[in-house]
Amino acid sequence: MNLDQMILAPGEWMRGSGPEAEIVISSRVRLARNVRGYHFITRMDDAERLACEAHIHQQITDSGVANSGAYFSLHKMEPIDRKVLVERHLISKEHEDATHSRGVAVSADESVSIMVNEEDHIRLQVLQSGFQLQDAWKLCGKIDDQLESRLEYSFSPQLGYLTACPTNVGTGMRVSVMLHLPALVLTRHIEKVFQAVSKINLAVRGLYGEGTEASGHFYQISNQVTLGRSEADIVNTVETVIPTIVRYEHEARQTLLAKDRKRLEDRVWRAFGMLKYAQLLPSDESMMLLSFVRMGVQLGLLDPMTLRDVNDLFVYTQPAHLQKLCGGPLEPAERDTRRANYVREKIQKCGL
Amino acid sequence: MAMKCEADNCENEATVHLTEIREGEKHEMHLCEACAATKGLPGKSHYTIQQLLTGIANQTQALSQNKTRRGKDPECGVCGTTLSQFQSSGRFGCPECYVAFKDDVQSLVEKIHDSTQHCGKVPTRTSSDVAMQKDLRQLQVDLKKAIRHEEYEQAAALRDRIRKIEDLMAAGGVPSGEDTPVGKKKGKSES
Repeated sequence: MNLDQMILAPGEWMRGSGPEAEIVISSRVRLARNVRGYHFITRMDDAERLACEAHIHQQITDSGVANSGAYFSLHKMEPIDRKVLVERHLISKEHEDATHSRGVAVSADESVSIMVNEEDHIRLQVLQSGFQLQDAWKLCGKIDDQLESRLEYSFSPQLGYLTACPTNVGTGMRVSVMLHLPALVLTRHIEKVFQAVSKINLAVRGLYGEGTEASGHFYQISNQVTLGRSEADIVNTVETVIPTIVRYEHEARQTLLAKDRKRLEDRVWRAFGMLKYAQLLPSDESMMLLSFVRMGVQLGLLDPMTLRDVNDLFVYTQPAHLQKLCGGPLEPAERDTRRANYVREKIQKCGL
Repeated sequence: MAMKCEADNCENEATVHLTEIREGEKHEMHLCEACAATKGLPGKSHYTIQQLLTGIANQTQALSQNKTRRGKDPECGVCGTTLSQFQSSGRFGCPECYVAFKDDVQSLVEKIHDSTQHCGKVPTRTSSDVAMQKDLRQLQVDLKKAIRHEEYEQAAALRDRIRKIEDLMAAGGVPSGEDTPVGKKKGKSES
């Protein structure tokens, strides 16, 4: 499996076929682990980093946890290919930007990704389409056990799994769910969601995680506390709050339809119109327009366009994916033209 | 959409936008890089949650007192990371740092997680006494709950299990943890 083959399909993040996939885009469970006998990343010299990576890579391969997928050595890749991995939510921006020896093992269906030599030696991630936290956690825990049987983890009975940053110590677990909440943004109720969520110690972040904006009205809800609670407990806390937020989004949509249908339809159709006719389409504008169109499709306003069509547009209008489709790196201005071309073609194919 | 820096007498454009949500309330601050630096906030474009949290930790009395008391910058014996290096990067250099900076770790971890005791998954390789300590802690939590709910039969059963484990651990020479009621065993009453 190589990157060029991978991008022929949209990947797990936007597969769009899990439970509640209209509002819940994806569920993610991540565990941070460090291997005994090595320093943490910041204190490793190049030789040690290479050795650590090689050691972990070998064990990942031997254990078969990355399921006939591939191992990408990031420092040997083209920058644009690294960006593709970020856009597919398989590596973090930090992993992309680092310069030392590092890699990521990815399963064939892209639901499992294991970053090696990121902030910690191992960042094990399971990603599932839609609302599937329990399944994601079960699989993640299983892979953790398989790796642990081959590698000795740094662990303290009092502090749990030892991580480079104390914000991750203990379970080393980050549970997050990505939601699409355009109606809550339009009704300005999104603030209430932030407040409710922060009251139970959960964090809200944008599309690509820590430090990013809420582009496309996508929001990630995740836990902040990793110590002093069991993994099951952390999963349950996040899991419990999601149906409520999903319900709020549905209610906000109904409110918009009931109170001011014409304005909602206008917003959806204007967004659609821009996508259908624009000659230049910058990335952030495209995200916002696609967000309204996505909501429009779900409200039945844009037949015969399907959710699959919109989800694909989200994936392939991203900067690196777009450039790969067009055969290679492009200047930003050229990208805006090609993005517009791609979107117009795709819409035409939908018959609209 | 240029925003002015919110500091007094500053006409610069704000480039550092801090949004803090604490106890359900959102606070926003917009500063230029210079004023942000003056206020001790990181002005970099990509500051992370960990830097923010260790930045908060920086401002607590305890840490600065520790440092001035020791009069120097303590360092980890294994990897050489100093306390100030940790404070600026938010990251430790090796597992031993957790021991070397024990006191600071305790207060920092308490601040971030409101806890200093791991109660989740344990590596399968870990010796059985770690697993027993974990079971013991859980049973003690359950016991407190049973007593609170006046489920005395349940409480008695839990107490028996706790005693069994403590006996096992004592027999194996294993410490049963700091917060077990071992000391309270003297003068125990049947109830």
